[in-house]
Amino acid sequence: MPAPLPTSGPPGPDSPQVTLVIGAGGARCAAALGVVKALADAGIGIERVVGCSAGAVFAALVAFGYTIDESKAVAMRLWKRELTARRSMFGMLRAVAPRLFATKAAAGFELHDIRFPLRHLAAAFGDKCIEAAVLPLHLTSTDFATGELVELTKGPLVAGLRASLALPPAVAPQRVGARLLVEGLLADPLPVSVAIKHGARVIVAVGFERPLQERVESAGRSVLQLNAILANNLLRAKLAFHGAAHHAEMIIVFPEFRHRVGGYATDKLAYIIDEGEQAALQQLPYLHHLLAGDRALALA
Amino acid sequence: MEVTLTECDNATVVKITGSVDGLTAEQLSASIAEPIAGGRVRLVADFSRVNYTSSAGLRSLLGAVNDSRRKGGDLRIAGLQPQVERVLALAGFTGIIQIFADVEAAVASYRN
Repeated sequence: MPAPLPTSGPPGPDSPQVTLVIGAGGARCAAALGVVKALADAGIGIERVVGCSAGAVFAALVAFGYTIDESKAVAMRLWKRELTARRSMFGMLRAVAPRLFATKAAAGFELHDIRFPLRHLAAAFGDKCIEAAVLPLHLTSTDFATGELVELTKGPLVAGLRASLALPPAVAPQRVGARLLVEGLLADPLPVSVAIKHGARVIVAVGFERPLQERVESAGRSVLQLNAILANNLLRAKLAFHGAAHHAEMIIVFPEFRHRVGGYATDKLAYIIDEGEQAALQQLPYLHHLLAGDRALALA
Repeated sequence: MEVTLTECDNATVVKITGSVDGLTAEQLSASIAEPIAGGRVRLVADFSRVNYTSSAGLRSLLGAVNDSRRKGGDLRIAGLQPQVERVLALAGFTGIIQIFADVEAAVASYRN
């Protein structure tokens, strides 16, 4: 097995540290691997990882110490068209005849057959628990009953990832304890609040705005456009509030993709990771000064 | 970071060179507090030579905006570089602060 990323493992007492937050963004979240590489090359450690939606998968890969190559392999297997191409026959029947095929369990309703992605998540992570990660790992989800952000820090990892990715009616909510959980994006697409709550001083927030449609010529694309507008405005509103209201320093890394990158663009993984690394490199001069200043204060 | 203050027409131009971030936030706040304390509350922040900004730097800028507006003035931004404008947009600043292409336009806006 290749050596894990140098950021993995308990940090040394003198090594500078940041909290890494990876937002929602489909396959684009692989850019976080480039950010991790840039931080590692610069000798900057990661003390905690927070992830939302697809970002939760990459957060888990980082927190458990997977190499970039291993992480790429997981992403290649997961973000395929089959992710949404396989329909759940029972879910479809319930959609067209809800009374005939009704069940009491809201969690049972989904239009997609998710056995494929679950199989690959299980193959990647086995029966690992969130709390077993080398770095403290926080997965975010949304309480389907209240809309509140839910932070998962223990329990089965694959169930936690599914909770962070579940988007009804395509994918049914995930039951965790007494709660039904859905997509973390719905509560906060870039949950820096979790890092702030746990006392983070310096946060590297890797976020992704949803690409807007170049043409809106169908009902499906209209829905995609509306979702993108809503998600982007939620992202900016949350980021604005946390940036203005809290003491923590947020280093905002929003990779700019010059080439269009779709949610399943695993054929562009190398490009995505490189854009993430380039975006992080632009932040490094300030990050070095900031962390050096913090260390000097701590030693004084 | 360097900050220079100049009077231009009926506004005070705060020319900032360098980075507006957690390491320079206090200096920026102190520099802008000076004209506000003296009653010069129509401010134009010239960002044409600002190449980097972070959340802590933006918080100090927001404090200056609030202070100037409380006294009947404003702080308007001119000459944003694209990478800085993107951070301001993501942080919600472009929705609450008036932004102009250059200092001349920002200063002229106070005449209207």
